[in-house]
Amino acid sequence: MEDTHGKVGCVICHGGDSSLEDKELAHAGVIADPSDVSCDTCHSDVAHANAISLHTTLEGFKTALETRGCDFDTCEEMNLAFENHCDSCHTSCGQCHISRPDETGGGLVSSHEIRETPSTQYNCIACHGSRVGAEYLGENAGIPADVHWTKATMTCTKCHGEELHDSGQDTDTRYDNPNTVRCEDCHEDVWTNTEDNPQHEQHLSDLQCQVCHSISYKNCYGCHVSIDEEGIPCRVSEPSQMDFEIGYNPIRSSERPYEYVVLRHVPTCADTCDYYGSNLISNFNAAPTWKYATPHNIQLHTPQNESCEACHGNSDIFLTEEDIRAEELDANQGVIVKEIPSP
Amino acid sequence: MKKIVFSLFIVLILVILAVAGCNQSAEVPGEETSTCVICHSDKDMLKQTASVVEEKVSEETSGEG
Repeated sequence: MEDTHGKVGCVICHGGDSSLEDKELAHAGVIADPSDVSCDTCHSDVAHANAISLHTTLEGFKTALETRGCDFDTCEEMNLAFENHCDSCHTSCGQCHISRPDETGGGLVSSHEIRETPSTQYNCIACHGSRVGAEYLGENAGIPADVHWTKATMTCTKCHGEELHDSGQDTDTRYDNPNTVRCEDCHEDVWTNTEDNPQHEQHLSDLQCQVCHSISYKNCYGCHVSIDEEGIPCRVSEPSQMDFEIGYNPIRSSERPYEYVVLRHVPTCADTCDYYGSNLISNFNAAPTWKYATPHNIQLHTPQNESCEACHGNSDIFLTEEDIRAEELDANQGVIVKEIPSP
Repeated sequence: MKKIVFSLFIVLILVILAVAGCNQSAEVPGEETSTCVICHSDKDMLKQTASVVEEKVSEETSGEG
């Protein structure tokens, strides 16, 4: 009650009538999570920007599925699958700044305190814990935590700030966001002073930073969604695998000009949605199943940057045909490294 | 003399008003919310009235994704 939100009162955001003693009447019209109708009254700039953020639109999911032939305009089965298994990942103002996300069970993080900075543990990692969260905190057996965590205890919002609310434009994936964080935002000297580091001198333009400074990360396979006997949406996927694979850059652009990047396997397969109808992912080969990745386990020293030979000629760390499942070979032709860089 | 007494009287009145103004607590908008907080911070009452939220996670869900 001490902060500004407490002083304006409950009713202004949640509705209802606090002057009435009858419980039912007092609660008429009360909205438990009023994020969609109340926040923009005072925070219009952030709320309007957030309305087109990927956390709100889930456009990243749709882009990946539409690229593979899913038709959200006419296919009712696909829309139902999306509603049952993807829509719940939508978050709201309150689910980052007051409570845990509904998808992870909800519940207030710290009474009704409205936190300008969301909790890394209860908000960010609650949803992003399986891959980047576990990587960042070093929760994968034998894999050290990210240096930004071990050396500086940097929370998620130290890097990911403005981009979370404001992409400034409709974006199809997080890599389209012009406000997305980049390593050089803090490590500018790496680009401006390469004299003492021949590896940077040689590779800054053709290698994504993670190629040299990331280590094994989690890859997921074979996700299938359905409805169980009790009518509850469920999913079953194969055991994940820790792996490190360098491949060709599938989203090469002026912003991301690197030839080589690290690639993470997505859990989607051709029959992921077959419970809802056959061939809903009708053009599965239109996008690689090994996608551009930014693993959150950055290290100064890694096995592949020990020496030139640790990478050059080392087929173990490059994505080759032997690493690809037979049914996914066509989809990944653009990212498979056909010729390992010579020693 | 009358003018001096009158001026002192006015000054005294102004001082009294100023002091009274400083001590008066500012009116806080939304103070009516206390009626909400009384119930919503009463743990026993909340336990009695809150409905049990049914977990809707399928037992058949497995693996990571």
